[in-house]
Amino acid sequence: MKRTVDVSVPLGPIHPCFKEPARVKCETKGEYVLSAEVELGYMKKGIERIMRGRPWQEVMFLAERVCGICSVIHNMVFIEALEQISAISVPERAALLRVIANELDRMQSHILANFSYCYTIEHETLGMYLLDVRERVMDELERITGARVTCAYIVPGGVRFDIRSQDVLHLRANLAAIEGEVTRYMRMFESGPLIGLRSKGVGILTREAALEAYAVGPTARASGMPDIDRRLRHPTYKTLGFTPVSRTEGDNYARIMVRFQEVLESIAIIRRCLDLLPVGPIRGGGIPGIGEIAYSGEAPRGELSYYIKTDAAGRVVDISIQTPSIMNIEACCHYMLKGVPSLADVSSTFVSADPCIACTER
Amino acid sequence: MNVLQSVKNLVRSKSIHVAYVDVGSCNGCDIEVLACLSPRYDIEQYGIYVHNNPREADILLVIGAYTPGWEEKLHTLWEKIPDPKVAIAVGNCPISGCLFNRPHSLIDPPVSKHIPISAEVPGCPPRPTEILTAVLSVAPIVFKDYEVSKR
Repeated sequence: MKRTVDVSVPLGPIHPCFKEPARVKCETKGEYVLSAEVELGYMKKGIERIMRGRPWQEVMFLAERVCGICSVIHNMVFIEALEQISAISVPERAALLRVIANELDRMQSHILANFSYCYTIEHETLGMYLLDVRERVMDELERITGARVTCAYIVPGGVRFDIRSQDVLHLRANLAAIEGEVTRYMRMFESGPLIGLRSKGVGILTREAALEAYAVGPTARASGMPDIDRRLRHPTYKTLGFTPVSRTEGDNYARIMVRFQEVLESIAIIRRCLDLLPVGPIRGGGIPGIGEIAYSGEAPRGELSYYIKTDAAGRVVDISIQTPSIMNIEACCHYMLKGVPSLADVSSTFVSADPCIACTER
Repeated sequence: MNVLQSVKNLVRSKSIHVAYVDVGSCNGCDIEVLACLSPRYDIEQYGIYVHNNPREADILLVIGAYTPGWEEKLHTLWEKIPDPKVAIAVGNCPISGCLFNRPHSLIDPPVSKHIPISAEVPGCPPRPTEILTAVLSVAPIVFKDYEVSKR
C-alpha cells in the first residue's frame, strides 16, 4: 500500500532533551506522526566481549558499569547469580542492606526520569524541585555505600559496609523529608492543568500492545500489568510483603505517576527493612565456583537478566545480558509514537519510556 | 586593550553556554553533569547555561570512550561550535578508556586523538563540584582577551 508521507524528521543523536545519543526517525503527515523507528549504535562498547574469560572480581566492576544510573541492580543481579551457582548463603542483615541500597538507587533513577520528563515538557520548575530531592537520595546512597554512582556495595556472601546506628537515624529523618516533598510534587503533577494537556492521552500503550511488545517495568505497569514486577519472586522482597503499583491509562501521565508512586513504595520498603534489621554479621564468605545460570531481577526500568557460565577458578566463560530498555524503546517506537498528535510530543513520549541507551547497547 | 575587548571580556565571563556529548560512556558521568543543574550545585549562578545545542555552545563536555559510531560525527560536531571554544573531557573514559580499554573492546580512546581537549576531569564518575570547578577554571583562561591573544 502506498503511504502519503510529508516529511521524514530525524531527532538526535544530539538533542537538547535526550541525555544520551539516539536517533528517532519519524515519518509525519503534517505534524501527525505516522510511524517512527529508532537508530542505535552510538554507544556500543562491547562490554560482554571484554567480560568473557575474566575473573569474577573484574567482571563485577564491569557489570556495574553497564549502566551508570541503575548500577546497584546490575551489581546485585550479577552477584546473586554467582551466589546461586555456588550455593553461597547471605546473612539476613546483609540481604536487607542490599534491598535498602537497591531501593535508594531505584528512587534516584525514578526521580531522574521524572525530572527528564518535566524538563522535556518545559515545566522546568517541577524538574528542578525533583533534582533537589534527588540530591537528598544521593546523599543517603553515599552515606551507606561510600560512593554516589558506582559503589560496588554488594559482594558475594554479603555487603561491603555495615550501616551504623547514626546512619539509620539520618536515613529515617531524610526519608520523612523526601516522602513529604515527593508527595507534594506528585500532587502538583496530578493537578497541573498544562501538564495534563501535554501528558494525558498522549503516547498511549494499550495492555494488548504492551503484551505484544514485551514491555517491562514501569512502562508495562502503567498499562495495567502489575505482575511484571520481578521483585515479587525475590526471596528477600517476598518477606517484606509489598504490592506493585499499577495504572490502566497507559499514557505519558500514567507512566510518570507510576514512577512517583513507586518512589513512595520504595520509601515504605526501606522503612520496613530498617524495622526488621537484625543484629549480626554482614559477610558470610564463600568462593564462586563452576556452574551455569540464567538469573533476573527488577531494575528501575524493568526486568534485567543475566546468563552466566563460570569455570572452577571463578572465571566467567560466557555471559550475556538482557537489559530492560531495549524492550521499552521498541514498545515506544512501534506503539507509543504512532499517532502522536504533534512533533513536540515525540521527544516527551520517548523520554517518558525512560530509555537508557548505555545499557541497551552496552 | 580597547573598550570593545573589555566589554567582550565582561560579557563572556557571565554567559558560558555548555553542550555535552556522550561518545560511549556508562551514563554515570551524564547524570553527574545533570546533577550540576540541580539547585544544590546550581551551575547557573556562575553564568553557565546548559542548552546542549552545539551551534551556540562555548564549552563542549565530552563524556565517554569514543565508540566507532562517532567516527566523523564528533569532528563534525566540533566544527559546528563557533569560536572561541573549548572541549573538556569528563571522567576517566575519554582520558584513558577506564576499564573498558581492554582486549576485544570496540572503543578507541583517548578522545584527544580526535578533537583537541583543553582540560581533563578524572574520576569514575567525577563529583559535580569537580566538573563545575573545571568549567570555571578553564573558561577565563580561554575566553579572556581571546581576540588579542589570537593575533
